Amino acid sequence: MSENKPFQDDYCAKINIEGLPDALCGRTFLTPCEKQHLEVTDEEHIVYTACRACIANCGVIAHVKNGQVVKLEGNPADPMSKGRMCAKGLSGINALYHPNRNKYPMVRVGNRGEGRWKRVTWDEALDTVAGMLMEIREKYGAECVFTSTGGGGNPEVPSAGRFANIFGTPNWFEPGSAQCYMPRVLACAMMYGGSDTSIADSNCLEFFDEKNCPIKSLVLWGTDPSYSCPASGGRMVNELRQKGVKTVVVDPRLTPDAAKADVWLPLRPQSDVALQMCWIRYILDHKLYDEEFVLHWTNLPYLVDCETRFIVHPAMGQTENKTSALIWDKKTGSAREMEYPWNDDYDVELFGTHEIDGKLYKTGAQLLWERVEEYTLEKAGELCLLDPADIEKAIRIYAENTPSSLCLGVATDQNVMSEQSPMAANTLDFLLGNVEKPGVAMQRFRISGVLKEPNYPVPYALKCLPEEQFKKRLGGREHKGLSIWKAGHAASILKAIQTGKPYQPRMWVDRSGNKFGVLAEVGKWAEATEKLDYIVHMFTYPTSMTAYADVVLPCQEWLETEMIVETCNTLVARQQVVHLWETRDETLIWSNIAKRCAQMGHEMCQKAFDPEFMGEDIAYWDSMEEFFDQMTAAIGMTWKELCAKAPFEFMSKEEWKTYYVYKNILEDGKPQGFNTPSKKIEIYCDAYIKLGRTGEPFMPYPMPPADKDYEPLPYFIEPPESPMVDDEISREFPLVMTNGRLPMFHHSTLRNMPGLREMMPVPELWIYPDDAKKYGIEPESWVWIESPRGKTRAKAYVTKGIRPGTVCMERFWNPETLNTETHGWQEMNVNVLSRSTGPFNDVMGTHILRGYLVKVYPADSAPKGIWTKPSDFRSWLTVGRS
Amino acid sequence: MSRQFSMVVELDRCIGCHGCQVACKFENNIALGTSRCHTYYMGPVGEFPHLSLYYMTIHCQQCENPSCIEVCPTGACYKSEEDGVIYIDRETCIGCQSCMRACPFHANNFNKELRVMDKCTLCVELREKGQTPACVWNCVGGALHYGDINDPESEVSKLLKENEGHIYTLKDDNDNKPSGRFILKKHEWIDMLPFEFEEALRGGKLG
Repeated sequence: MSENKPFQDDYCAKINIEGLPDALCGRTFLTPCEKQHLEVTDEEHIVYTACRACIANCGVIAHVKNGQVVKLEGNPADPMSKGRMCAKGLSGINALYHPNRNKYPMVRVGNRGEGRWKRVTWDEALDTVAGMLMEIREKYGAECVFTSTGGGGNPEVPSAGRFANIFGTPNWFEPGSAQCYMPRVLACAMMYGGSDTSIADSNCLEFFDEKNCPIKSLVLWGTDPSYSCPASGGRMVNELRQKGVKTVVVDPRLTPDAAKADVWLPLRPQSDVALQMCWIRYILDHKLYDEEFVLHWTNLPYLVDCETRFIVHPAMGQTENKTSALIWDKKTGSAREMEYPWNDDYDVELFGTHEIDGKLYKTGAQLLWERVEEYTLEKAGELCLLDPADIEKAIRIYAENTPSSLCLGVATDQNVMSEQSPMAANTLDFLLGNVEKPGVAMQRFRISGVLKEPNYPVPYALKCLPEEQFKKRLGGREHKGLSIWKAGHAASILKAIQTGKPYQPRMWVDRSGNKFGVLAEVGKWAEATEKLDYIVHMFTYPTSMTAYADVVLPCQEWLETEMIVETCNTLVARQQVVHLWETRDETLIWSNIAKRCAQMGHEMCQKAFDPEFMGEDIAYWDSMEEFFDQMTAAIGMTWKELCAKAPFEFMSKEEWKTYYVYKNILEDGKPQGFNTPSKKIEIYCDAYIKLGRTGEPFMPYPMPPADKDYEPLPYFIEPPESPMVDDEISREFPLVMTNGRLPMFHHSTLRNMPGLREMMPVPELWIYPDDAKKYGIEPESWVWIESPRGKTRAKAYVTKGIRPGTVCMERFWNPETLNTETHGWQEMNVNVLSRSTGPFNDVMGTHILRGYLVKVYPADSAPKGIWTKPSDFRSWLTVGRS
Repeated sequence: MSRQFSMVVELDRCIGCHGCQVACKFENNIALGTSRCHTYYMGPVGEFPHLSLYYMTIHCQQCENPSCIEVCPTGACYKSEEDGVIYIDRETCIGCQSCMRACPFHANNFNKELRVMDKCTLCVELREKGQTPACVWNCVGGALHYGDINDPESEVSKLLKENEGHIYTLKDDNDNKPSGRFILKKHEWIDMLPFEFEEALRGGKLG
């Protein structure tokens, strides 16, 4: 039998603490350590925790030996990942012990980008940051500070927003939010009031009981669970397929889910809404909808005043009652007021147009039909560049195999129709009655009560932001949909920095995996930093952002952080397995900064530590334990007690799964309905008009109306750059660029993981063989990709797995060139090409990260200084044994 | 019949996530640039958009008639009578890499640091503790299985029996008699060695 002793070139060698300082010498970003904050014991033990290499929270068993994490494996007790881990999560050990971690707070001593830093204590760093913040506030106003988060790497998203509100600035953003997930969250909140259908955001919980889930068909629209969340959603969808659930995948890229689908619709990027409207039309036209559900539980039979475009609520004005509405009674041939929920005396009409007292009224269904009527199979085929027969086959699978569900991914969040796409997608599930019955995605299952917002527990504390500050939100008036997350508008912030209008932002406090990998047109952001007085960057390791920063604060890797995780009917604790260096949890860092501002005389920051004043928004905390204790109290536990017990089921699966919540009879004898003003599913969603005009229901103060009303129904427009429009841009840039996840990276993180980079050392440009031939691109060769905004390089992957006329490149940056003049973001970065300027999505302000135009041509060579060979990544391995 | 442990892979379940490669890497401390298993992309082929693509994870095939053992000059490379798995004794291995050249499946690799050969042992250390090989334990698709294919009562034998008519082995021009089994129902089996196929397809040399 072989003696399988570890190699010297250990992939995850045991860290040698004494050897560390020597190993770190000569690295610009590092200062040799004096003390390692690592508790060393002789014990070997395991810790039950949860991963956070992406936004899923897969249960993990961490093996700890002599104080060091030596092995990670999936925890079978996790109801979503069921004991599996993916490439990203397994790399957690490398991430934790990466030699280039940010280890201590540091302040810049040279010029920006020179890479010369001085190690300081946390007290000194917090003094410096708070001093900068207070100076900007004093001189120019708190609104001149903006905060940001995102970019992967274990973000606690609301933390940046909460701090902004308490400090008094209305400007915080996430490069995601308007471009990722928020459009879908908003559409579900407005139309339904329950969970959205994003698999990658840990929803669709019904599906994770794969054996018992009666779903018959599943549509994956612009989402690829097998790549974005392999262990949870990818695994789950795979199990559903295995038991015979039919699947349709709508994606220009042949993902693993597409390769295994019954029908793959490789549509033209950005034509999603046209296709969705075609599906709606087909389902209405062929009467494939669930008529009983549509009549009784949606607002489609309600009459809409064609002049005001609002649904008529006769009792409004006297009672504020929005639950009674006007319907057309076919029996009497007249409009009647119908009290919620239903009146059997009426023969309610679904489609109709009527003139009453000289005014025109149409039912919601009629208006929906008129909106989609032109989108026939043939028209959708032309717009989306698909075979109408394939479209019809896909619709039939979805509509004739119910219960079914349509799960939307991030793709539709990244273009000018970001809000219209989830509106249309939701409409499809609503029409089929795929709501709250067994086997469908949209559910309102019970929760433990520990967390109000799943897995993002930090309250935004919006009440701390004064009205006059709130109204200064950049982009806030025009794009009021952002207010569901109380967020500012990234592109408007960039414009304000560039132009000084309406005021000049001056300080940026950021926590992210690399803003220069994920923001649109990052070149403009790099220029913009020159106009900023101060930049603070907090993350686990240096990113391109570090080159532009004045202060760097070291964040914790997920194996060091703590979080309450609710996953199906189970509570999991992300526990601190070990703690290295002087890293802190970002949730704590924001609190630390607020505390120093309070000590420097910031009144609202002072109040933010007063539990009585903060109430439900919770007073700021001095430790994670203090923070979590306030939440675990809801189930009569302390955080430590929860850690000791987790993972555990907080209720049985049967108690937890509450189907048909809308049918629950309340005290007034009426059913509970949905969380909308009418208590019905609002497919004709006039609440969007109101949102655009006033900010209701999300803004605490009335905001002047947007220039143009938001639409109550989805609509399709050609994007500003389109191959279907013959103009100067489309003639010079003939190809459409899209992006798509890879199983080894999350957002802009993990490009410094040796075991992942060796599998995908450089980004690939997926290009169809005919296109490659046309533009002189050889397989596996280096290519330039150029948009009207910039150019970048990638390696050609010539494949039939991308639709002709479309190219695909995933986000990338190069940690190995951080200390060069490119700062790692200029070599191979698709986001030097993307588009930060308008037109934006009306509701959300979304700019275009996917679906803009590019051209490609051969490049002579790889970018200078990048690493491509596996051995190149050796210096990023865990520090080896001496 | 003697015991023959090997991998049984349900290709319809593999979603190409590469989790097995990384799990193996950490479990067995595999050096950069090498691996004991690898996921190949068998496609896309066909007419757009009606394409075929499946993913195929390849380990050591634990051959009945292994060419690696035949060429080993020192006897470091041997097939265990206990479980039919092929091992390399690192004390005896002189790093001549003959076995690497002899393996038609590219399933073993050379470690430059130790100057010895390395290959899949079906995680013998874990199995000795009654645990599961890391790739199998972590496989998100539930595609990877291992067991004694010669024992009709083993789980893998039952799985193979259930899928009769859909079982494939790697193309075997050298009469190696690979023990690895692949189950594929939803796509047409591509009878080429995966590394040859992937290289040719990516290089634009296949339709």
